[in-house]
Amino acid sequence: MSNLRPAECAGFVLVALIVVAGAAAPLLTRYAPDFQISGGTLLSAGVAHPFGTDDLGRDLFSRVLYGIRVDIVVSAAGVPLALVLGTALGLCGPLWGPADVVIQRTFDVILAFPILILGIAIAVITSPGLIAIVTTVALANVPIFGRLARAAVIAQRERDYVTAAQAIGAGPLRILVRHILPNSVDALIVQAALSLATAVFVEGGMSFVGVGIRVPAPSLGNILNESLPYLASNPNFALGPVIVFTALVLGLNLIADGLNARLSHR
Amino acid sequence: MVLYALRRIPSALVVLFLASVAIFAVLHLAPGNPAVVLAGPDADSVTIAAITHQLGLDRPLPVQYAIWLRGILTGQLGQSYVLGAPIASLIGRGLGNTAQLTGAAVLLAVGLGFAAGTIGATTRSRVVRAAVVTFTTISFAVPTFISGVLLVLVFAVWLRVLPPGGHASLVTDPLGGLRFLILPAVCLALPASAVIARFLQTSLSAVLEDEYIRTARAKGLPAARTLLRHALPNALPPVVTVLGIQIGQLLGGAVIVEAIFAWPGLGQLILQSFVSRDYLVVQDLVLLAVTVFIVFQTLTDIAHAALDPRIRLGS
Repeated sequence: MSNLRPAECAGFVLVALIVVAGAAAPLLTRYAPDFQISGGTLLSAGVAHPFGTDDLGRDLFSRVLYGIRVDIVVSAAGVPLALVLGTALGLCGPLWGPADVVIQRTFDVILAFPILILGIAIAVITSPGLIAIVTTVALANVPIFGRLARAAVIAQRERDYVTAAQAIGAGPLRILVRHILPNSVDALIVQAALSLATAVFVEGGMSFVGVGIRVPAPSLGNILNESLPYLASNPNFALGPVIVFTALVLGLNLIADGLNARLSHR
Repeated sequence: MVLYALRRIPSALVVLFLASVAIFAVLHLAPGNPAVVLAGPDADSVTIAAITHQLGLDRPLPVQYAIWLRGILTGQLGQSYVLGAPIASLIGRGLGNTAQLTGAAVLLAVGLGFAAGTIGATTRSRVVRAAVVTFTTISFAVPTFISGVLLVLVFAVWLRVLPPGGHASLVTDPLGGLRFLILPAVCLALPASAVIARFLQTSLSAVLEDEYIRTARAKGLPAARTLLRHALPNALPPVVTVLGIQIGQLLGGAVIVEAIFAWPGLGQLILQSFVSRDYLVVQDLVLLAVTVFIVFQTLTDIAHAALDPRIRLGS
């Protein structure tokens, strides 16, 4: 962390600001996200309501802050789930040929689904909501982590140090975790940053088209969808989601690029 | 190349078959009996049983799967009970519009991507290279639902030069149709163009360092000819692969873009069917999206092999 590049640093700051704003939502706003202010529909942005109010008179600043929490939950649940599951499958697959074939084919099938189409199919089973989004994020990312981990196994298993480890009696699990996994950690970390951006995109996309978080619960995606009819008269309706989404995905991509540059030149 | 295609196509078919089984299984795991939904809230058990039988839902799952597959292969997709029209004609209508949108987006993405990638790889100006990097970083990162809203705000609300959404036939009203097409096509094309530009820039920069390029320059070849005849063809293979994946993903992106711009395509149809629990239509459309993805991935793998003998001849 000693030689952060400016772009990467900006990425960390952007993401940290948004996460803190979401976590501290109750301290930053005095309106509950579903509280309807009587006579206060479609107010413009101002001191009392930084992003204005929506068509039902709810404070948009509150809705955006509480909406950020959905993205934090989705990212914090979906990406680690995929990371652990994908890495485990990718590392262990090559141990036994038939399992490897089954795992690889399953990965191929999952990757053949455009991510939003996968989300729609999953929402059919689980019905729209947080579970559908987290499942989509996890499922779509498992093959990506799995292939990265498997590539490390394939590249390293013929190396002398692996033979040496086998010769002194290390079991396959120990070799995989202690000797081979460290070789793929860099790639997995960079991918985790990219997957966090994907998670935010999936939440926004699914909630935007109505298969994710449904109103009245706030989410950045469904606020943006509700703002569509009012873009001409009240563009501030869309302001919050536009700022937060752009900052989040841009920040995460900058972090991923920076990590990639640093780790690959090491 | 034919040999490579003969090796590559069967494995694509296996993935497609497995995906179709998965789609079928997933949509039949969905809670709730479609017959109950179709029969309406006041239906008695006899009506529900009749509809269940009519839909074939009382038959074993493998039989239902076989019937579904036979219907797809023969074009007999059945009736959408909710929309009251044959599913094939619903899909046909949406397909034309979505094909226009994605076709225009592919052209734009390739044009923008190649322009940005080539400029990024050949320029000596730091400012220009920074501009290219900024363009690719932003268009790659910013999701379509954000860029779509921004495009509407800038070009429809503030500048008032293009309509915020809607659709007109390109056949009967070419100029009006084009006006409706521009914003959604640009919105859908931006992320793909960024990916193409990045891959081309990386690949082209590497090729331009090669010795045969120096030779071509040394023997006095004009820069344009060196670039077009010697450098670009050798920089293409990785770009072709990523292009196939991007095209395959466009149908997913179209769901969002069509929702923003009220474009009457397959994306709107799948959302409408989802909301009305018309799962037969959803099932067909998900399979269509997966098929398109697999077809383009396979085609570009074959094209990649045609461009790069190492892949075609390797084991």
